[in-house]
Amino acid sequence: MKTQYFEKTDLGLLIKEKAENILVMADFHIGYEEALNKQGIFVPRMQFKDIIARLNRIFNHLEKKRIKLSKIIVNGDIKHEFGKISDQEWRETLKTLDLMASNCKEVVLIRGNHDKIIGPIAQKRSVSVAQHFIVGKTLIIHGNEIPEQQTLKKCSTIIIAHEHPAVSLRDSSRVEKYKCFLEGKYKAKNLIVIPSFCLLTEGTDILTEKLLSPFLSGSIRDFKVYVLPENPGASETEISSPYYFGKVSGLLCR
Amino acid sequence: MIQFKQNPDKAQDIEKIMNPLVKKWFFSRFKEFSLPQLYGIMEVHSRSNVLISAPTGATKTLTAFLSVINELVDSAEKGILEDRIYCIYISPLKALNYDIEVNLAGPLKEIEEIAGKGLGIRIGVRTGDTTASEKSKMLKKPPHILITTPESAAILLSTIKFKELLNNVSWCIIDEIHALADSKRGVHLSLSLERLQRHSDHICRIGLSATISPLEEIAKFLVGFEGENPRPCKIVNVQFIKKTDLKVLSPVPDLINTTHEEMQRSMYELIDKLIQDHKTTLIFTNTRAATERVVDHLKNKFPKNYTENIGAHHGSLSKTHRHTIEKSLREGKLKAVVSSTSLELGIDIGYIDLVILLGSPKSVARALQRCGRSGHKLHDISKGRIIVLDRDDLVECSVLLKSAVEEKIDRIHLPKNSLDVLSQQIYGIAISEKINIKDLFSLVKNSYSFSKLEYPDFREIIDFLAGKYISLEDRHVYAKIWHDEETGMIGRRGKLARVTYMTNIGTIPDETFVTVKCGEQTIGKIDEAFLERLKKNDVFVLGGSTYQFLYAKGMSAYVSSSVTRPPTIPSWVSESLPLSFDLAIEIGKLRQYLDDKFRQKLSEKEIISFINSYLYVDENGAQAIYNYFREQYLYAEIPTSKKLIIEEYIEENNKYYVFHSLYGRRVNDVLSRAVAFAVSRINKRDVEIGITDNGFFISCEKGLNIIKPFRILKSDKLDLVLNAAIEKTEVLKRRFRHCATRALMILRNYRGMKKRVGRQQVSSMILMNAVKRISPNFSILKEAKREVLEDLMDIESARKILKEIEDGKIQVKQITTRIPSPFALNLVMQGHLDMLKMEDKLEFLRRMHQMTLAKIGKEHKIK
Repeated sequence: MKTQYFEKTDLGLLIKEKAENILVMADFHIGYEEALNKQGIFVPRMQFKDIIARLNRIFNHLEKKRIKLSKIIVNGDIKHEFGKISDQEWRETLKTLDLMASNCKEVVLIRGNHDKIIGPIAQKRSVSVAQHFIVGKTLIIHGNEIPEQQTLKKCSTIIIAHEHPAVSLRDSSRVEKYKCFLEGKYKAKNLIVIPSFCLLTEGTDILTEKLLSPFLSGSIRDFKVYVLPENPGASETEISSPYYFGKVSGLLCR
Repeated sequence: MIQFKQNPDKAQDIEKIMNPLVKKWFFSRFKEFSLPQLYGIMEVHSRSNVLISAPTGATKTLTAFLSVINELVDSAEKGILEDRIYCIYISPLKALNYDIEVNLAGPLKEIEEIAGKGLGIRIGVRTGDTTASEKSKMLKKPPHILITTPESAAILLSTIKFKELLNNVSWCIIDEIHALADSKRGVHLSLSLERLQRHSDHICRIGLSATISPLEEIAKFLVGFEGENPRPCKIVNVQFIKKTDLKVLSPVPDLINTTHEEMQRSMYELIDKLIQDHKTTLIFTNTRAATERVVDHLKNKFPKNYTENIGAHHGSLSKTHRHTIEKSLREGKLKAVVSSTSLELGIDIGYIDLVILLGSPKSVARALQRCGRSGHKLHDISKGRIIVLDRDDLVECSVLLKSAVEEKIDRIHLPKNSLDVLSQQIYGIAISEKINIKDLFSLVKNSYSFSKLEYPDFREIIDFLAGKYISLEDRHVYAKIWHDEETGMIGRRGKLARVTYMTNIGTIPDETFVTVKCGEQTIGKIDEAFLERLKKNDVFVLGGSTYQFLYAKGMSAYVSSSVTRPPTIPSWVSESLPLSFDLAIEIGKLRQYLDDKFRQKLSEKEIISFINSYLYVDENGAQAIYNYFREQYLYAEIPTSKKLIIEEYIEENNKYYVFHSLYGRRVNDVLSRAVAFAVSRINKRDVEIGITDNGFFISCEKGLNIIKPFRILKSDKLDLVLNAAIEKTEVLKRRFRHCATRALMILRNYRGMKKRVGRQQVSSMILMNAVKRISPNFSILKEAKREVLEDLMDIESARKILKEIEDGKIQVKQITTRIPSPFALNLVMQGHLDMLKMEDKLEFLRRMHQMTLAKIGKEHKIK
């Protein structure tokens, strides 16, 4: 019997390790709309409500399947703004953390590139903040930097976020973009890239745009693509499995 | 009442009202009054609104200014000249403003010389380039004549200190009104004029226009409404006082069996010959890229003839470069200059004796405007040569020439009820004063562009600006104006309001070009919409070379140049000039006549003789038109204005339906999308559509039938269908960004930061998704749809065509061909691709997934 396996659960990745159930999610970018407002783009604020609804849907789904979470790991960038934390961001981040905390035993925040001073928020809710997290032989890390060799050595699987992977599918001249998981290799280790929980945009099109993460600086042609359906309306209660779309190379030459 | 002025005034009557100094000056420079002056001067003098339509060089500007100068000089002499603005002159171009300043300063100086003393009449120019010190000087000593642009005028109206100078202005002159009326810039201006009228209620409005139609509507646009009725205005129509010599030329006798190289060689030889036979030639192309290409080719092919004596002039070139070219032109140093649209307007470019148009100018008014740039003086002859490069072009330009000679001008479209512009202007008004909502509504309704505005739409904009679409706690971020429901008063809100307005004013969207780079080297630019269509490894053509697309980053697209495959994406011009509807109808009539002649089995000689008598073409041209129609007649059937032919053929695995609907691209855009939408609705499949001026095609899988959905399309349901059909298109996304920017939902400049277009577009997508959830009819989204359907496309004419089909006035006939008919060929080749998104995104995903599964096998059932 496998000691550890992964299950894609909507925008999260569920890790089953011995008796533990760990849910990894990332890149919420709470406060993104506020940041846009400050730049003079008057987007009405809807994301926070949507995030809460989507999280609840995931938690309901897990409850139905009688899966109790021991940990929720936020793999970086729970909030958007660099530097100063605004009142709204503060409130919304706390509420999001509270919702997570009430659905698991422990919440861990991995530091992302947008999280330079997330300390105060974490303290307020006694969640721990880490550069990375290791469970069994799996390393969970945001992915904007490669960690030290020592850290890498210990594991066989790496889970990163940061990239906001999405894929554009086309049929003749129609193009639609969807969030996706990517699965491939980084130096003989398994690499899983999880999609962003930011619900305002799909993310980076892995087929046409230049990728950011140093973990993905090599060729991703052999990476497998798991596509998530578009965010269904709030009325939807069921979460759907991702659609397997083969390797990146196959999508490129279509 | 709007009325045409039938007879000119008498010269001696005009002389009677002239101050002796002005009279002396005038007759020292001119022998007599020109026709526009005989019609116009008295009107301006007696403060009657007047629209003067005359070709370039017909002394329109002096007509407008003579009475103004006359009065200023008279007052100065009598010592009653006040320190106030008497006249505001507004033109669409900064360059034109400086020309006018020079052209006014000269005469004033000469009049002072005749008077033997200074008169103290001041002229001031106020544009975006005016320095702060010049501005404060103007406040202290206001110019008697203020020269400005529509945007700067709106800023002045919202500037507290300057506003006071706008009380009691006597005249407002709008120059080149034809270049403003058909765009949102014109809508914006029409509201500024109402704002001005609020300060100076006896102001006299003077409009100056090149050849344009319909004049009555332009006049109403100029003067606006007072309650239900348009304000009075006299129209002076002297459009055709200039003699013209126009011809259509074909570089080779046979436009179809000539290789591309041969065609190019002959075309440049023809252009060279024309240039050499004349003193100075102005060449118009339809795109900026073509402008550069023509200059390059002429220099390379005829190095002896062209060195420093030829230049390009278009909007993408630097201001300095353009000024140098304009100066060289005025000094007569250039043999030829090549331009796209930038030299269409009345900037002084000296003596031009020939205008060449490369390819169809797509409208009669534009052709006359461009050709009118030659023979700048009133009694000169305008000489224009249109060079055609294919048979559709030949037919189109020949009919265009006929209309021009017969003085049939195609009508322009004037945008109505633009809610985004309305938002911007109400914001501007709220900054400058407190105003009651009722007064505001009647001010807005007085503008021609909003005379049909319904109160609920107006109210929606007030609520939008007051931030009422957002819950109370967050409203402070979104509210732009202050509105007290109880008292109905509206006013300024926030400390940043004024600076935000000043730095974000205007209606012209930022251009969205993406830089194409090969490594670090910049290759050129492509339209952002084109980039959206490219996928990795697609091959496309840019500047004559092929490139393979690698990836996009921000506003750069990275490509590789080592590619041998043919292009996979057709080169595609997103928003080139569309054929005017009226001209399209005229071409349809020619088709009708020729179809009749062939059906009557007339001889070749008889038909050619008909072509010669009906059109103004040479022997080669008549023969080529005959051959083209004969081929179509024998191979398939000639579509006409009364017979819409739908041609069906199969290529590889796709079925093509070619609709020979010669109504111009703006109408075909509507018809094709409506059909494609109906097909997708019924069959749940996306289809591909291609649109040209001469028709459109739909290509789909073999099994689909297009005719039935087309048949069930009804004119009274067209709005409904189109609103749904454009819902997910790229064009709506881009237009929404433009509208959101005009309505100040997206600020280009905020807190000292300027946003790039790429950033604006990403944010505008987020914005559009959000407002859609607030209401699918959110005012700014509604405006974006209106702009697409009414301004970019022409849903009104499309509805008319469908109605005529329903009433049996246009017959629809279906034919099948093995390969595309001669008329269909160009249409299929040139049609640009667009895509109708009908299937729900999830359904699309599932179908794509099935296709993928079929290819990769069902190796994975998801865990």
